[in-house]
Amino acid sequence: MPAEALTLENAQDTRFRLTPDALILAIAGIFLLTNTAALALVRGGISPRDIAIVVVWATCALIGRRLLVTRLRQPDVLLFSLAMFLSGWGLVLINRLAAPFAERQTLWLVIAVAGLLLVALTPRTLRLLRSFRYTLLVAGLALLASTIIFGENPSGLPAAPELWLRFGDIYLQPSEPLKIVLVVFLASYLAEQYPALRAEGIDTHLRRIAMSPRVFGPILLMWSLSIVFLVWQRDLGAAILFFAVFTILLYVASGSALIVLSGAALIVFAGLVGYFAFDVVRLRVDVWLHPWPEAGGRAYQIVQSLMAFAAGGPFGQGIGQGLPTFIPVVHSDFAFAAIAEEWGLLGVITLIACIAVLVTRGLKLALFQRGRPFNALLAVGLSAILATQSLLIMGGVLKLVPLTGVTLPFLSYGGSSLVTNFVLVGLLIRISVSEAA
Amino acid sequence: MSTEIALFLLRLLSGLLLLGLLGALFVLLWREFRASAREVEASRRTYGRIVVLREVNGTMTRTGEVYPLLPITSLGRSPTNSIRIDDSFASGEHAVVTMRNGQWWLEDRQSRNGTMLNGVLVNQPVVVTDGDIIGIGKLRFRLEIES
Repeated sequence: MPAEALTLENAQDTRFRLTPDALILAIAGIFLLTNTAALALVRGGISPRDIAIVVVWATCALIGRRLLVTRLRQPDVLLFSLAMFLSGWGLVLINRLAAPFAERQTLWLVIAVAGLLLVALTPRTLRLLRSFRYTLLVAGLALLASTIIFGENPSGLPAAPELWLRFGDIYLQPSEPLKIVLVVFLASYLAEQYPALRAEGIDTHLRRIAMSPRVFGPILLMWSLSIVFLVWQRDLGAAILFFAVFTILLYVASGSALIVLSGAALIVFAGLVGYFAFDVVRLRVDVWLHPWPEAGGRAYQIVQSLMAFAAGGPFGQGIGQGLPTFIPVVHSDFAFAAIAEEWGLLGVITLIACIAVLVTRGLKLALFQRGRPFNALLAVGLSAILATQSLLIMGGVLKLVPLTGVTLPFLSYGGSSLVTNFVLVGLLIRISVSEAA
Repeated sequence: MSTEIALFLLRLLSGLLLLGLLGALFVLLWREFRASAREVEASRRTYGRIVVLREVNGTMTRTGEVYPLLPITSLGRSPTNSIRIDDSFASGEHAVVTMRNGQWWLEDRQSRNGTMLNGVLVNQPVVVTDGDIIGIGKLRFRLEIES
């Protein structure tokens, strides 16, 4: 019922006045323009790259919005506006921090928007995903396995984790698309297994079957497999992310608080084991607990990040006027710290608000999918990816939790990450237009 | 205009844009919240109440039973009624209060002992308003209609 009323209101909006989502897109465009101008002023001259970024971004935004609004019946365009705002901010940030990467990232944005439109505009996306879930899963795991064998690191450092696959000049990170693949697989598997759990008035007999290891066994096996893969690759962030999303989905599907408790206990246990077994984990935890004695050594990155936050103050130093490049690899994992330094608390709050709105809109979509467990679970899973990943990296950069190397969605440098997040938003938009049951 | 002033103005503009975006988000969320609140409100809309009274020593006393007034509220002894009357004077399907064209109507359903409205026997459907008292057997039902 509420869904109908909302969509009706949206329908009126698109015809008669500037809708909030169009307004947000417009603000995003002016924001991009303002900051590019300021950056050019700081550098003492405008480069063709600056103009190209703004033009490409604006084209993507206009075409994307136009197609979504005209081809779909009352889509949730706000999701698209927010994704474009964050990615535009990301482009200007990368242009400021690591200018040579900005062109490539702009190209990736075009691919990402195309991916979003493809997923959102194809009417049968959700059904196709559902019917080819095993194929997708096998393909995803094969990709992951090939990364273990052929993986490389673009930086070429000997100790760096080798998480990328190289195709000529392009590096891909398979763990990024794997996130979506695993959520699709789990959502369809759980939707198939527990229609009884989603129905009202749970039958105790069915519940006993649902809780038996015979049903949970395969998923647990699959998950421990992928987590072993990831720990083997020392990609801690992805491993924690997968496990957290898995726990959330299982909890939403079954409604049993025991799952959350045991999941949390498992994470703590794995953390303790990891601390004594893996050097990477111990380093991260040590640096998190006691960064100051080693401020010039192992904890250099996190200490510089905290300095950046302090330097930012409430309104920031202004783009190009802070010193965030003291933080090693600031353009990927530490994008959040750079935002804090140059846009200040205001920028940080806006960023968090945007991500929070994206996540809550996703969860709200799930609420309106009564009688469609696959859609609901998919929406929950995708939102959970976005939320968990953002929390992990923002908390890590702020020294609230041990640092795990995941990208900040939409803002960090990285093509695989950008495309994955846009496809994720595309799926959410697709779910938002599937007719209410 | 010196570079410093220009940069400061651009910084100011950039900050204002961020604030504007936050504001737009807030307005949007607030509007949606109001819309869904209205929706929930409408689905929970109440029309009024029916308060049960009983005559004790010549005065009307509330028995404590209160029923929601529904667009079709049936009264009678059988358990299928909206308001079940446990009184041997009441028929199985005794009377019904309905809303038609924005007015509330009381109708006797050919009960054995009849239905009273403010002490007068009801022979045909009559319009009732707030404060009217329906009498069935020894029980009295006061209508409290919300406008």
